[in-house]
Amino acid sequence: MAASEAAIKVRGVFHRFGEEGDQRFVRALADTSLEVAEGELLCLIGPSGCGKSTLLNIIGGLMEPSAGGVEVRGQSVRGPLPRDIAFVFQENSLFPWNTVVENIELGMTFQGVAKSERAARAAEALEAVGLKEFAHHYPAQLSGGMRQRAALARALSLKTPILLMDEPFGALDEQTRMILGEDLSVLLARTRKTIVFVTHSLGEAVFLADRVAVFSARPGSIKQVIAVDEPHPRRPEFVTSAKFTSLRNQLYGLLHDEIRKAVHQSTALGASRPV
Amino acid sequence: MVAASNRRSTLGTLVRRPWLARLLVIAALFVLWEVVARWLVDPLFLSPPSRVIASLDTVFTTRGVPAALQLTLFELMIAFALAVALGLVLGLAIGLQPLVRRSFFPIVLLLYGMPQVTILPLFILFFGIGAASKIAFGVTHGVFPIIVTVVAGVQNLKPILLTSARSMGASRWQIFRYVIFPHMVPSFFAGMRLGMSGVLLGVLLAELYVSIAGIGYFTTLFTQNFDPTKLLGLIGVLAAMAIALNALVRRAEIHFARWRS
Amino acid sequence: MQRHDRGTAVSRLIQAGFLVGLVLIWYLAATRWGVNRLLLPNPVAVYSDLLDILLSGEFVEDLQTTLGELAAAFAISATGGLALGYLISRSRYWIDVLEPLFAAVYAIPIILFLPLFVLFFGLGPASKIALGATISFFPIVINTIAGFGHVDRLLVTAARSMGASDYHLFRYVLLPAASPVILTGLRMGFTTALLSIIGSETLASLAGLGHRIVHLAEAMEMARMFAYIVFVIAIAVTLNAIVSALEARGKRN
Repeated sequence: MAASEAAIKVRGVFHRFGEEGDQRFVRALADTSLEVAEGELLCLIGPSGCGKSTLLNIIGGLMEPSAGGVEVRGQSVRGPLPRDIAFVFQENSLFPWNTVVENIELGMTFQGVAKSERAARAAEALEAVGLKEFAHHYPAQLSGGMRQRAALARALSLKTPILLMDEPFGALDEQTRMILGEDLSVLLARTRKTIVFVTHSLGEAVFLADRVAVFSARPGSIKQVIAVDEPHPRRPEFVTSAKFTSLRNQLYGLLHDEIRKAVHQSTALGASRPV
Repeated sequence: MVAASNRRSTLGTLVRRPWLARLLVIAALFVLWEVVARWLVDPLFLSPPSRVIASLDTVFTTRGVPAALQLTLFELMIAFALAVALGLVLGLAIGLQPLVRRSFFPIVLLLYGMPQVTILPLFILFFGIGAASKIAFGVTHGVFPIIVTVVAGVQNLKPILLTSARSMGASRWQIFRYVIFPHMVPSFFAGMRLGMSGVLLGVLLAELYVSIAGIGYFTTLFTQNFDPTKLLGLIGVLAAMAIALNALVRRAEIHFARWRS
Repeated sequence: MQRHDRGTAVSRLIQAGFLVGLVLIWYLAATRWGVNRLLLPNPVAVYSDLLDILLSGEFVEDLQTTLGELAAAFAISATGGLALGYLISRSRYWIDVLEPLFAAVYAIPIILFLPLFVLFFGLGPASKIALGATISFFPIVINTIAGFGHVDRLLVTAARSMGASDYHLFRYVLLPAASPVILTGLRMGFTTALLSIIGSETLASLAGLGHRIVHLAEAMEMARMFAYIVFVIAIAVTLNAIVSALEARGKRN
């Protein structure tokens, strides 16, 4: 890995929801630090409620941490950075009253892209995710997998150097996830973006990531970071290789106790705060 | 054999086409009305539909009736336009700011549930017997459902859509124009449908109340003269007006709320 | 939790302030800003007239008339609506045919037909009862059809398979399943009956609370008229609250 300036620097981030003594008080993150190199795909994986989505929102400037800070490409993060960071969420975030292409163009309107450029960029993005024929469909007319492709196209059209993806394939079935994962790997090899990807799935993490950051149970902090030394685009055969299995087992070993801890936490506390 | 199969096929036709059965039910009601009015009731009190329809022209040639009808239509349209504009502005003002909403929405709901007809005489005293009071009364009936539905339309926006827009760098104005407003439009049109019903109720109530001018003068006149034919004719025309206006608003709602389905 | 409480407290404060402000403006307008006493009475006068009305029992006769008309109208529309609604609900076909027809009536404000009822029944309570019954019939019949018509067929099949008679089926399956929707229909019917009775008393009557307000308006007795308006609104709100509470109670069981 080249000794380039890290694209994202997370320093000592703590986060809590609510005040101490409140019924809904939650310590989401405790002393989390990490660095993401330029052009790297980092996966965040961990048990439910460990704060990985919270960390993603903090990195993207959608939330301010209770303590600590984040630097993105040298600048301190104080709010959304639409020219540097684009999000893909798990929930369907397309505007239902707009067609796919209108959704994409609207994203560019928000970012401030010149009107003359929008159509071309939208077409390019749709081509990249394989949705060219569905440009004028409404989100309600698309399957879950296609909607997430459209959300990805919108994020790509913004041409940001960084992509933050919060379990983008979480609501989809296994087969769609597999296909989308492979397509994503191909896309990334081409565009060389910096990506932070939150997932629950061990297989997805090993398949997509250059490094995997394993979170502990709440309050979340990074337990260990595992490297996956395999070039992009990842071949589909990688999944059945010995290296893949051994990495996956490693992750499983790290996570299993934390998952047990998290389940114990949520049954003890009742309603758990979504993180 | 032929008679039985004929009967079966007629029944079959009716079964497969409920709208036909509906028309027959309506026709049957008209026949009932005709029979009862013609032979069972004193003609001073009820007129059969045949006579009402035949004498419709006499309603229109009664001096002042066409003008009164035109005025009523005018009042309905103005009241509706005002109720929509006011309802939209107030609805947005209340819906967009959480503190304003928590303070004033309960007040709106309270007023919405109030029996406004109690203050009808007050409206006439304040605004006179002309068009102004009818329009005002129509507006107060029509504005509340619109406010309520606009607030609901703003409220039930999925938070993820706002987050997504924010993450892409949308300004507050852009969020309003490209996210909140389009999301609210179907609710707004549903509210307009209720608003039209309200406006119809308000304007017609006010018109009927004022018995010395407008429609109210003629309904009073025909009633006191025991002229059910003209009375039914006039009311029939007003009912048709109401149905037409409602249908128009419904059409607009379907057209603009396409993405909801 | 604390932040939520603070927010509610502030909004309550604003509400109170708004209402107090309104009354203040009313008082100032009537006494100091020279608004014609024939348009806006002094709130103090309204209050004292209200007390007088309540203490002297002057309201009793009008209230009896209005409530009597309401009771009669609702009794008729409820019986008719429930019975007809149940009968129609027994046939899928007739539900399909008639439901849209009933719903279509909402396109017209039925109070429009009041002059016809007055022509037929005169200015006495009969016309109000007839109109009130007609108007409140529709929400009741529509909701009854919806309630009985959409009972889960599975429940009916299960009961029949255990040998339930028609009566058993009605009492132990259909009625409990349909009652939430029916109760809502009855509540809506009651509310609309009340509104239409007051409305028709305002438009064409010789007695009753609606008429009393008109009478006072014509006599330009503003303070007393305002007092009656407040009284009638209070009665309406109370009755509606009671009916809503009954509906909620019925649904809980």
